[in-house]
Amino acid sequence: MPGKVFRAAVIGLGRMGSTFDDEITRGGQFFMPYCHGPTYVASPHTDLVAGADPHAEQGEIFADRWGLERGQIYADYREMLEAERPDFVSLCTTARHRAAIMIDAINAGVKAIWAEKPFTLSLAEADEVLELGTRKGVAIAVNCSRRYNVFFNQARRMVDEGELGEILQITAYTQCNLSHNGSHAIDAMRYLVGGDVEWVFGEMESDEKAAGEEDLMGNGYLAFDNGARGFIRGTHTGAAPWEFDLIGTEGRVRNLAQGMETQYYRWVPGGLRNQGLPARAPFPLPTHIPSSGLSVIEDLVDCIETGRQPRCSGQDGRKALEIAIAMRESHRQGGRRVDLPLADRSLRILSSEILSDAVPARVRRMQSK
Amino acid sequence: MYRAAVIGLGRMGSTFDDEIQQGGTIFLPYCHAPSYVASPHTELVAGADLHAEQGAIFAERWGLSAQHIYSSYRDMLAAERPDFVSICTTARHRAAIMKDAIEAGVKAIWAEKPITLSLAEADDVIDLGARNGVAIAVNCSRRYSPFLSEARRMAQQGELGELLQITAYTECYISHNGSHAIDTMRYLVDGDVNWVFGEMESDEEAAGDEDLRGNGYLAFDNGVRGYIRAMSTGTAPWEFDLIGTEGRVRSLANGTDTQYYRWVPGGLRDEGLPARAPFPLPLSIQGTGLSVIADLVNAVETGSDPHCSAEDGRKALEIAIALRESHRRGGRRVDLPVDDRSLRILSVEIGGDTVPARVRRLRQEPVVA
Ligand SMILES: NC(=O)c1ccc[n+]([C@@H]2O[C@H](COP(=O)([O-])OP(=O)(O)OC[C@H]3O[C@@H](n4cnc5c(N)ncnc54)[C@H](O)[C@@H]3O)[C@@H](O)[C@H]2O)c1
Repeated sequence: MPGKVFRAAVIGLGRMGSTFDDEITRGGQFFMPYCHGPTYVASPHTDLVAGADPHAEQGEIFADRWGLERGQIYADYREMLEAERPDFVSLCTTARHRAAIMIDAINAGVKAIWAEKPFTLSLAEADEVLELGTRKGVAIAVNCSRRYNVFFNQARRMVDEGELGEILQITAYTQCNLSHNGSHAIDAMRYLVGGDVEWVFGEMESDEKAAGEEDLMGNGYLAFDNGARGFIRGTHTGAAPWEFDLIGTEGRVRNLAQGMETQYYRWVPGGLRNQGLPARAPFPLPTHIPSSGLSVIEDLVDCIETGRQPRCSGQDGRKALEIAIAMRESHRQGGRRVDLPLADRSLRILSSEILSDAVPARVRRMQSK
Repeated sequence: MYRAAVIGLGRMGSTFDDEIQQGGTIFLPYCHAPSYVASPHTELVAGADLHAEQGAIFAERWGLSAQHIYSSYRDMLAAERPDFVSICTTARHRAAIMKDAIEAGVKAIWAEKPITLSLAEADDVIDLGARNGVAIAVNCSRRYSPFLSEARRMAQQGELGELLQITAYTECYISHNGSHAIDTMRYLVDGDVNWVFGEMESDEEAAGDEDLRGNGYLAFDNGVRGYIRAMSTGTAPWEFDLIGTEGRVRSLANGTDTQYYRWVPGGLRDEGLPARAPFPLPLSIQGTGLSVIADLVNAVETGSDPHCSAEDGRKALEIAIALRESHRRGGRRVDLPVDDRSLRILSVEIGGDTVPARVRRLRQEPVVA
């Protein structure tokens, strides 16, 4: 340590590429630096060397903010890959172009990709990227960032070390479109349970939505291979915003209100017939709170050096998408259980973020002024 | 004063309250005989049980002379002409006894749960009861809990906003104590179930008629969605979680804690935070059994439906059966009502009910004089 310093570039210089952290005034879900630009600047492992975005406004703001020369900003990411030969590349466009850019980045010889979520639009795209990435030995991390949140890590450690006993249930109240932020919700469920989903049942917000390819809300029941069962409510959650509830035979962890509070329960003597009462105990605090973004980079650096998979790998990104699609299939098939993996790889969800992504939100705001 | 008699002089008929050390779900008097004795509306006049041991204990405990204890409930009905009759046998004989009681001219029936084994039996009883104008209450007693009634009042008066979700972690057999769990979900949501999806503990269990564990997803006609986990619940024993747009009520650990959450300003992006506020306490708490009797007296005198009517009992059974049907059909959504009325669940309580548990114990340990 610090060892080699990697050359890092960001593709897509909007919110997640550059300024998302400005929106966040409180920790819990996110610890700073969180998004890509500031993380590369802060990390001892990386030098931020370039950015690419077709909108010149985005490039200018990025260069000013993160201290790059105009010559380090590119309109065409292919040119950037060619000229800068980055080791790390962040993919912060919307999901519309993610697969194509990842393929180009892999072919350009990058060592690591830090991709935003959702991973891709279709399963076929995800398959192609993963196949190529594996062949070329590129480490691909997807930014389902709860895997890099120390409270979630602590909950998972408790699972792994048996402190919660046998894991029975994971419930997520996570209002979202199933591909867009559903990628976070579903991935966090898989992460906490430490298992894979064998089949699902899903109900979507309407038959019309379920029939189409647009991103959509829905609820579902997930059967994990380790016996745990999951319930996800992605439709409106009212007074239960973004909550995960992990229930085991010996303990329970609840992560509430977008990660702003984490609770731990364990048995104490008592109860109606002395069968015990679950009582709240202090959640074991971590010894320090690492930044989410820096943790991703540490993870990717280690993957480059050891060849292992990142904590939130491309496979994890594909699985979140596949589960979301399977829940929609369940509805499409009249409400029946759907087994994974899905045979039809052409299935896709047009993640809600791509809706009006021809001109990014910040550029629209600047143009309307 | 109404003349009251109990049929089935076992735990619920007579001594169940001795097992309860703590309030919450249950407040005493809870079971049938002590409630009739304590109520200002009723006088306990007779009991009937096949087993003489049960009758002797009952007579002694509740101050009846031996001639008011019958081994044949039909003899009892004919000789005593009770106004109120409690049916505290296991569910095996409940339908037959209810029909005999209705035909003997009782005014009110306080029936244990589950109401019957099959849907056809429930249909029969409800039909005959309606024709004879008999008030029938089923002892899914959470409807008479001051805390859950308060939660329902809050829901009905809009204090929780629009209701979205009811989650039940209620480890049980889906007919036996599932009758409580499912009924409470219906009660809190104040809606009816249109369709369900269910997963049972195993294909073998789902194929048979024996009572069984399972989980399910419930679609209510008012838009609310329900999730019930009746498989093992570990550190989340008997919990109900009612979530609305404006507030949330959680009933925890078998009713020993009730929590209320509402929005306060704050949150990650100032979108508000759900904060715990004091749950509105009732002004007084009366024994659960006394509330049932008062409810039945009101039903007899005004013709209104009891809070937990026979119809409610039938619906709980029908939902449990539909959950199992969903599994039987390979995991697909099942609409209610269920067409096949011959479907039944052999509620777990009827296993080994030829000799009641207390009588078995007495016979094992002969009393030393
Ligand atoms: N509402 C509740 O909270 C609650 C709690 C416990 C049990 N229960 C229900 O109460 C019912 C009884 O359970 P229990 O634990 O009291 O059982 P138990 O075995 O202690 O009592 C049942 C009694 O019924 C008698 N009986 C059977 N057939 C009869 C007949 N034809 N005529 C007269 N007596 C007859 C038996 O001899 C026995 O004494 C069950 O349906 C159970 O599900 C309800």
